[in-house]
Amino acid sequence: MLLETNDLTIGYRTASGALRAVEGVNLAIPEGEIVGLVGESGCGKTTLARSLIGVMAGNANIERGEIRFQGRDLVSSGARYWKDRRWRDIAYIPQSAMNSLDPVYRVGDQLLEVLIRRGGMDRAKAKRRAEELFELVGIEANRLRDFPHEFSGGMRQRAAIALALALDPTLVIADEPVTALDVIVQRQILDTLDDLQKRLGISVLLVTHDISVVAYVCDRVAVMYAGKLVEEGPVDTVLGSPVHPYSMGLMNAFPDLGRASRTLVPIEGAPPDLHDPPAGCRFAPRCPFVVDACSEPPEIEAVDETHRAACWRMGEAEALRKDASEVTTWQT
Amino acid sequence: MPEQTVRIRPSRRQAFLRSLRELGRVLISDRYAFTGALVYVAFIVVAALAGVLAPHDPTEILFTPDGMLAGDLPPSAEHPLGTTSLGRDIYSQLLYGTRSALLVGLVAAFFVVAIGTLVGLVAGYMGGIVDTILMRITDIAFGIPFLPFVIVLSAFLEPSIWNVVLAMSLILWRDTGRVIRSQVLTVKHRAFIEAARVSGSSTARILFVHIAPNVLPISLLYGSIAVGWAILTEASISFLGFGATDQISWGYMLQDAYLSQALSRGAWHWFVPPGLAIVVIVVAGFFISRGYEDILFPKLKD
Amino acid sequence: MPLATTFASSRGAPIYSYVRFDPEATEFMRTARRIASRFAQMVFVLWAVATILFLVFRLMPGNPLVAYIDPTFTEEQQQELLQRFGLDRPLHEQYVIYLGNLLRGDLGDSFFYRDSVTSLLWDVFPNTLALTMVALIIAYVIGVLLGALLAWLRTSRFEGIAIPLVLLSRAAPEFWLGMILLAIFSFQLGWFPAGGAFTAGSEAAVGPGRFFSLDFLRHLFLPALTLAIYLHGLPLLLMRSNMLETLKEDFVTMARMKGLSTWSVLVRHAARNALLPVLTAFALGIGYSIGGNVVVETVFSWPGIGRLLVRAVSASDYPLAQGAFLMIAAVMVFMNFVADLLYNVLDPRVNQDA
Repeated sequence: MLLETNDLTIGYRTASGALRAVEGVNLAIPEGEIVGLVGESGCGKTTLARSLIGVMAGNANIERGEIRFQGRDLVSSGARYWKDRRWRDIAYIPQSAMNSLDPVYRVGDQLLEVLIRRGGMDRAKAKRRAEELFELVGIEANRLRDFPHEFSGGMRQRAAIALALALDPTLVIADEPVTALDVIVQRQILDTLDDLQKRLGISVLLVTHDISVVAYVCDRVAVMYAGKLVEEGPVDTVLGSPVHPYSMGLMNAFPDLGRASRTLVPIEGAPPDLHDPPAGCRFAPRCPFVVDACSEPPEIEAVDETHRAACWRMGEAEALRKDASEVTTWQT
Repeated sequence: MPEQTVRIRPSRRQAFLRSLRELGRVLISDRYAFTGALVYVAFIVVAALAGVLAPHDPTEILFTPDGMLAGDLPPSAEHPLGTTSLGRDIYSQLLYGTRSALLVGLVAAFFVVAIGTLVGLVAGYMGGIVDTILMRITDIAFGIPFLPFVIVLSAFLEPSIWNVVLAMSLILWRDTGRVIRSQVLTVKHRAFIEAARVSGSSTARILFVHIAPNVLPISLLYGSIAVGWAILTEASISFLGFGATDQISWGYMLQDAYLSQALSRGAWHWFVPPGLAIVVIVVAGFFISRGYEDILFPKLKD
Repeated sequence: MPLATTFASSRGAPIYSYVRFDPEATEFMRTARRIASRFAQMVFVLWAVATILFLVFRLMPGNPLVAYIDPTFTEEQQQELLQRFGLDRPLHEQYVIYLGNLLRGDLGDSFFYRDSVTSLLWDVFPNTLALTMVALIIAYVIGVLLGALLAWLRTSRFEGIAIPLVLLSRAAPEFWLGMILLAIFSFQLGWFPAGGAFTAGSEAAVGPGRFFSLDFLRHLFLPALTLAIYLHGLPLLLMRSNMLETLKEDFVTMARMKGLSTWSVLVRHAARNALLPVLTAFALGIGYSIGGNVVVETVFSWPGIGRLLVRAVSASDYPLAQGAFLMIAAVMVFMNFVADLLYNVLDPRVNQDA
């Protein structure tokens, strides 16, 4: 396993009190695979993603747990070690490449900055590598001289990918890399990402709220809800035969051009306020299949070798799936 | 209880008054603005009651019981801040000084803000040639150095506190004008203005009901700072010798002290208090402006 | 914050938005066009200010000739002046002559000093320039460093002391600050001279090297300090405000994620971005200070343009007053233009919205 988190718990101090954005998460990212991390806004996926690279918001901190990268726990290895390894082992493609490039420096110079200052290359070698990287992501080398505002949205995203790959990382975290782009460009970027992943053999953690992105490009998917991991497994299994009611609801809520006219069924209600989360299963208030047992929080358990979920009614998954495909199930 | 019919479409006057009331509420709700407002009230009270509070006439030359000039006396029970070289009571001068300060401050600030807001509204909303002309005029106003201009005006006009008011009215509306125009341009293109226009609201109505509430906080913000500008300018002008000679202002006191060698004699009681008074009232203005600033740019708590 | 005035955001309507859209234009052309339009704006304002001054001096009560001819001049001198300024001609002709004279640098002769106004102004201009530049540089360097520090540290204890102090520095009349400093450091402690730019009659007061003499520096210290105290508030608040905004930007977070050193993140990326408006403010500050220094020059008897203006007005020396005012205005308008240039040149994004 390239990266695994053990009981990772991350808290925030806000003006309205403390809350835990991520609670007891055991995420596993294998080598050479694209893992999707999916959930609605506020479920903690970005917090989790940023914790893996160790650069979080000022009022966030890791309360407990481990982040084991190639066997070594980053959390207990100290800030200096983590900072030193940053970008070399794990890189990050930000949500909106629009603003992630410094507007007053040329794009090429920002690439060189990483290559020279962190990669230890001399200028000539760095320039060649920069051109290589641009070629890799499909941008003409002469664009290295341009400023960020001269790039189109799609190009900026590609530049961000090039930056992320600069030091040959083993894991790249892509936080909503295509959300801000139009559909056609989305496809292109995702194709580029997929292609690069296969060529370089890296792992990718793709954080998104869009299931169709997951379906298109991921090998595995992890579903998060209200700070907890609720289901995880191969993408075909989780999307095709979801075990957790929330996953089932997600499938219903997304358009799928493959199937003939289907009504989109939203999951009614809203995620709980994490300042004061429910004691039992966090999805229980919205779950159509809730029973008494749900007042106790369920643990993540294996459905089979590659598939895990956290639901007391895991065993009845097939029957529940049938009910879940009915519109009436989701209406109160 | 029978339901009261709610007027959905407020009249221009109602909407305008409502936004004024909102702005007035800032003075009570915001901690800083409230403190500033309190200080202002205190100064206004002092100005109004100066005649009663001051032990002496500020211009009266005083003599000691044995007929000597009561000049350059250190602070005492009789003269809490001592006397000037000419034998005038400094404390009384300080109290009476609030009058010209407030007069100049409030009147000048009013004109500065009124003209600036008007220019900004008209230029921003009308656009086109009107906007261009008004902006060129604003450019010219920005091209005139303010203090030198007041000085030059003083060459031609009789010394009076109104010179400062005139000069500020002619020139210092420029900041307010530009910023308000900027704000109007931003607001103008928002959807609800389009909706109002399409549904046939008159220009005046749109201005008063929709645009004004977005713009008035800026006016008041600049207004509260402009009072400080006016008082500082008046002080500078008086210090330079171009100020009114009939009224005792703080600037006049400072000039008097300077010319009477109060600095070399270490007569702190003479030249420190007037400056402090200016500092206090200007800071009060800053505090009030902070209240309006928080409406315009609410600080996100993190 | 209005105390850190929004310079950049309200620069006024573009003067030539009527320039036709040319898709072939390179970025250089766009910048050149923008600079040209700002330059034209500057010339327009200068012309307008000169015209206003002309009208003010002509329209004042009393004999309009008084603006140029002191009754104590001899008959010949009066005739010569009549000729030079066309004072016996109709107003519009006088105006043309006035503009012509201005362009040639002829501002008339001072009543008091009996010397050409232009040469008097050039004599004292370096003093004002020296004072302004030294004060501004000190103010901006300290302001920027403190502002960036405050933004980085964000401790409310530090801010709780620093910000009120800054407010006080901007609320206090500069001349009052000067008076206090004079009283303490000059009269009480005797460390610095009480006024002037040079010790009277000293040999150091001649030649270009005089600005580096110890004598000059000793005289410069208190007035420059006074101005610096007054002026540092703006760059401090502006830099702090900009840094706070910039530190929240995504590219700063990215810089941290790339594992760059703290120095690289704070200075090369954050401060570099936050500094742009401050540089513009610096250029503008030069313009405003040249005129605003009047009171400080008076307190310290500093022989600069401001003090010359005050003396001229007090003595009804109209040509000198007019000339001094014009010079101050010209510097200010020119610096506004320079600030615009800086803003355009330093921020690569600006060229986008031609």
